[in-house]
Amino acid sequence: MTTQAISNLHSVLSSGTFAVTGECGPPRGADMNVLNKKGELLRGWVDAVNVTDNQTAIVRMSSIAASKHLLDMGLEPVMQMVCRDRNRIAIQSDILGAYSLGIRNILCLSGDHQSFGSQPDAMNVFDIDSMNLIRTVKDMRDEGKDMSGFDLKEAPKMFIGAAANPFADPFEYRVLRLAKKIDAGVDFIQTQCIYNMERFREWIRLAREEGLTEKAYIMGGVTPIKTVGMAKYMKNKVAGMDIPDEIINRVAGVPKEKQTEEGLKICQETIEELKEMDGVHGVHVMAIEWEEKVADIVKGAGLRK
Amino acid sequence: MIVGEQKPIEEIKKMVAPYKKLLILGCGTCVKTCFAGGEDETAALASALRMAFRTEGVSIEIDEQTVERQCENEFIQEAAKKIGENDAVLSLACGAGVQAMARRFPKEPVYPGLNTTFIGVQESHGVFTEECSGCGNCELGNFGGICPVTRCSKKLLNGPCGGSQKGICEVDANTECAWQLIIDRLKTLGQLNNLRTYIPPKNWKTSNSGGPRKLVREDHII
Amino acid sequence: MIVMNPMEKFKAKITLFHCINAFTEHVSLSTDDREVKIVKMPCSGMTTEVFMLKAFEAGADAVAILVCPEGACRYMEGNMRARKRVEKTSNVLDKIGVGGKRLSIHNLAAKNSDSVPGLLDEIMSTIKELGKNPAAAA
Ligand code: SF4
Ligand code: SF4
Repeated sequence: MTTQAISNLHSVLSSGTFAVTGECGPPRGADMNVLNKKGELLRGWVDAVNVTDNQTAIVRMSSIAASKHLLDMGLEPVMQMVCRDRNRIAIQSDILGAYSLGIRNILCLSGDHQSFGSQPDAMNVFDIDSMNLIRTVKDMRDEGKDMSGFDLKEAPKMFIGAAANPFADPFEYRVLRLAKKIDAGVDFIQTQCIYNMERFREWIRLAREEGLTEKAYIMGGVTPIKTVGMAKYMKNKVAGMDIPDEIINRVAGVPKEKQTEEGLKICQETIEELKEMDGVHGVHVMAIEWEEKVADIVKGAGLRK
Repeated sequence: MIVGEQKPIEEIKKMVAPYKKLLILGCGTCVKTCFAGGEDETAALASALRMAFRTEGVSIEIDEQTVERQCENEFIQEAAKKIGENDAVLSLACGAGVQAMARRFPKEPVYPGLNTTFIGVQESHGVFTEECSGCGNCELGNFGGICPVTRCSKKLLNGPCGGSQKGICEVDANTECAWQLIIDRLKTLGQLNNLRTYIPPKNWKTSNSGGPRKLVREDHII
Repeated sequence: MIVMNPMEKFKAKITLFHCINAFTEHVSLSTDDREVKIVKMPCSGMTTEVFMLKAFEAGADAVAILVCPEGACRYMEGNMRARKRVEKTSNVLDKIGVGGKRLSIHNLAAKNSDSVPGLLDEIMSTIKELGKNPAAAA
C-alpha cells in the first residue's frame, strides 16, 4: 500500500473511515446527459464511482471518457479496465491517457467473455491477464517504467484495485488468488455481490489469517434485490453469483409489492454486518440501473447522513 | 491430431460447380481419425456430390483418391496422375494439406472441403476437444500438463477468473474450467505450490501473433 | 431440375441391407412392381454412409436397413450405430435433393422374416409418393 493519498478513495480508506463506492454504467450511446443524471443521484452518498468498461461485453461509451465526464461533475471515478479488448500496448497507453485526464483510481479486471455480449463474433484479446494488468499499473506507478522498461516522463500514479469473487470455485484457491493479487500490487479489492454471508465470513477469516486484510483494503460488494425474478435470474444466469435459497425464499415470502422493500432491507443488513466485520474496510454498492436507491441504502445502513 | 469437419455440402457444391471433372482427394492421417477426410468420407462425399448434381441435371465427373498424408510432398506425388486428369481438386485435408497441394501443383485449382478446427484429441468416441494452440513456447510444465492458453476461455495464466463454478467455465455449460482441472491435477501431483508462482505476461512473439512462423532445421538441410 | 412425375409407372428398385443375424431370406421378395436387391452384412453396424449412398447412386429408389432389436446386437451396439448413421445419411439425402425418407431402418424381432413383405409394402408406398430416385443414373 502506498502511503501518500493518491485519490479521494485512498484517503478515505487510509483514514479508517468505512468507505462507500457506487457504480455507474456508461450509456449505449454518446449522450453524456445519462451520466450526469446517474452522477447526480450518487453525489454525496459515495466516495467514488466505478465506471464499467463495456460490461458484459456490450458496447458502451468508453470508461475513460465516462470517467472524465464524472470528474468534470466533481465526482471521483474508479475507472474499470478489462483485458478482453486491449493488448498491452493499448492498455498502457490508455492508463497514461486516463491519468493525464485526472483519473486516479483503476480497477483491473479480466473482463466478461464476449460470448455473453451483443457481439459474440468479436475476437478477444486477453494478451495479459488481470494479474499482469495489476503489476503493469504498479510498475508504471512505482518504478516509473512501462512494460518494456522504458522510463516514463511522469509516471501515472494510480490507486490500484481489483475484483475478488469469494463465491467462485475452487473455494480453497480463492484466498490464494487474493494473496497473489496483493503481491502483484493491488491496493484495494471490491468483491462480488455478497448474498452468501457464511461463505464470505469464511473467506475474510482466511484472508485475515494470512494477514491479507492488512495489506489491502477490502470492500464488500452488495446489490439490492428488486424482485424474486431478478434474484433467480442472477442465481442461474450470472457467472460467479451465489445466492442461497434462504435469501430467495425470504424475498419470495413477502407479498409482491413488498419484495423490493425486503430486498433493500437485506442489502442494509448485509452492509451493517460488513461494517462490523474485522478486515472489511468499505462497501461497494452495485445498484445497476437503480442508482436512485443508493442514497436510501447508504442512509438506511447509517453510513452517511 | 489436427481436427477438422466437413463443410456443408451446399457450400462445397458452389465451390466446385464451375468444373466438369473434379478430383476429391482425401487424407489418411489426422482427418481420417476424426471422420472428416479419410477414404470413407471421400467416397461418401463423392457419391453424394454426384447425386446432388445429377438431381439438377448437371453433368460432372467426380473421381476420388486418398493419400496417406497431404501435407507431405512424397505422398501428394501419388495423386499426380489423377490431378493431371481433372480440372480441379477438392481437398479433404486440413488447411496445411490444402496448401501443400496448392504449392506442389501451382496450376491446379484446389478447394478446401473441410473446415480445419483445432489441434486436439478424441476425448471419447465422437467427441473431440481442443488442447493446444501451438503458441511456440510450451509452458505446460507450470500447469500440471493442462494448457490454460488454449483451454481457459480467457487465456488466464495466474489462476481462475471469478466465473469458475463447480468445474464449469463461465463461458459455456459444456466446457470444463481449465483452471479447475489444473488445480485438481496439481493437487494430485502434490504441486499446489505452483499456484503461488507469479507467471509473467506471455511472450506471444513465438505464436502466430509474431507473424507466420518458420522452423529451420540446419541439421536437416544439405 | 429434372421433374419426375410421381404417377409415372416404373418398377421400383429397393436395396435391403441386413445383418446376417437379423433375418434369413426364404422367399423371393421381388414382385412385378419391385426389384429387391439384398446385401448381407456381417453386422448392421458395418452399413456405413458410403454403402447407403452408393446404393442410391446405383439407382435404388429406396434403401432399408434391417437390424436386430436394440439390445440384441451380437456386436454390442452395431444396430444403434447403424441408426445414427441412417439419421445422418438421410439428412444428406435431403440436402442433395434425393429425399431422406427413401432411407429407413427397421428392427426385426428375432429373425422374424415374416414381417419383411409388409415392410416392403410400406416402403413401396413411400416410393409411390416420392417417385423415382432423381439421382439415378440415366
Ligand atoms: S503452452 Fe503453447 S505449446 Fe503448450 S499446449 Fe499450450 S498452446 Fe500448446
Ligand atoms: S471459468 Fe475457468 S476456463 Fe473459464 S474463463 Fe474462467 S478461469 Fe478460464
